[in-house]
Amino acid sequence: MKRKVWISSIMITAALCGCGSGVKTIEGDVAVKETSAQAQEKEQTEAAPEEAEDAAAAEDTAQYSGYAFTYDGTVIGMDMDAAPVVEQLGEPDSYFEAPSCAFEGIDKVYTYGSFELDTYPTDDKDYVSSVVFKDDTITTTEGVGIGDPEDKVVEAYGSGWTEEDGMRVYEKDGMKLCFILENDTVASIEYRSTAVEQ
Amino acid sequence: MKRKRIIRAVCSVLVVVSTLFMLQKLLLPKYVSDVVEGRLIAEYYAEEKDHDVIFIGDCEVYENFSPKILWEDYGINSYIRGSAQQLIWQSYYLLEDTLRYEKPKVVVFNVLALKYNEPQSEAYNRMSLEGMRWSMAKVKAIQASMTDEEHFLDYVFPILRYHSRWSSLKAEDVEYLFADRKVSHNGYYMRVDVKPAKDVPEGKMLADYRFGENAYRYLDKMTKLCRDNGIELVLVKAPSLYPYWYDEWEQQIEDYARQNGLLYINFLELAEETGLDYNSDTYDGGLHLNLSGAEKITAYLGQVLRDEYHLADRRPEERLSRIWADKAAAYEQDRKRQEEEMEKQ
Repeated sequence: MKRKVWISSIMITAALCGCGSGVKTIEGDVAVKETSAQAQEKEQTEAAPEEAEDAAAAEDTAQYSGYAFTYDGTVIGMDMDAAPVVEQLGEPDSYFEAPSCAFEGIDKVYTYGSFELDTYPTDDKDYVSSVVFKDDTITTTEGVGIGDPEDKVVEAYGSGWTEEDGMRVYEKDGMKLCFILENDTVASIEYRSTAVEQ
Repeated sequence: MKRKRIIRAVCSVLVVVSTLFMLQKLLLPKYVSDVVEGRLIAEYYAEEKDHDVIFIGDCEVYENFSPKILWEDYGINSYIRGSAQQLIWQSYYLLEDTLRYEKPKVVVFNVLALKYNEPQSEAYNRMSLEGMRWSMAKVKAIQASMTDEEHFLDYVFPILRYHSRWSSLKAEDVEYLFADRKVSHNGYYMRVDVKPAKDVPEGKMLADYRFGENAYRYLDKMTKLCRDNGIELVLVKAPSLYPYWYDEWEQQIEDYARQNGLLYINFLELAEETGLDYNSDTYDGGLHLNLSGAEKITAYLGQVLRDEYHLADRRPEERLSRIWADKAAAYEQDRKRQEEEMEKQ
């Protein structure tokens, strides 16, 4: 009998402790979904740190298949490693750090005149979380800018959109391209990662 | 013979249950060396529950108001039931929970939480909910807060959620298995360092500035709960510069306060009156106030509470004064320790 009790205790303990070590724990950084690109990059980085990091950054752009914003030749995709992007963009007009409540890690906001670039931290690295247009001097890669008529959005992105919190949202490969329309005119454009939406 | 079997069976069950209980205690995050905000909600239960004022809300209450100042300057006995990203339904149920123990004269609620209309994050839910004692208020708070990926049973038996922590256990998990360590001063989380507010971004344009129906529903419930219990509800917007507080949100709160006969204080508009200086009174660039800033705006709030609600000065109460003398000593010790740490850096 005694033996049965000990065996069952040990089995329950083993069952609870032994499984699921890959499950996210609550302690530490705010839990954000790890994108497949980040997971792949992490694997490469662990294998051979320096060369892998360079290669991963270079491959980031090539592999990216969501809507990307291009500014002065710099391609900015959501969930991309932010370091090379920020380096290419040069000195921002302003920079702001927003530490998350309670958890380690800092969201960063870089403002470059016509747009704002936001990042989120995961595993000691920053990733692009959003790009927000600030004025009508820039356009999306597909040619849509603030002030353009609604028809131009449909022409560029089609009718496969959904409505979310009053925005028109085009989702592609784990990212969102969001438009706010006022009086049938584009009033706001934002590229947004879905990794931080939880 | 039969009796012996029964005793054995009972003992067996006890051994299994005890093992699981100990294991669960061991695996639960202790929130001691980091993310200490996870301990805030539970700390309340060890207090003597005779408060005149209870604060509820997110980091904008537990980092921006100092109950010690309310006591020292006005003799108001207060406590902050705040937690990181506390959502409005969590604030409501924490208020219900508080009313199981005491009935304050005034409840102060920070309105930033109205921006959220639905559950947000498990990590923050856990910090607000795990520390609550079990009651119907806690059950309802969990049900209102769970994201799609969460399960109620994981809150009842946290071992189901935390079993994977076995590989990352630290010495503190054993040290604080049954021991407690206070991390707040009546719910206030103290920081003395300074980082001036600079280049705070403007808010992004929103398609819809209206607070959500669910958020309003809980604000209505909170208003009613206070009214039914003869409690004055005060709405505040702490002077945090980020996240951005939109004019459209301000208008809605002003309208709500007026329609419901509530006092609303927006500290963002009172920098001159409170003497708040964003160059020296914030520790993270304008998101939260440091000790200096928290003491300034609390002194202002204390005056309003005293004048509007005629809260009695309880400093002559000997027993309460003794309790507060100990609290003040711990507060000053914490301030000194942090200042010394800053000097070393």
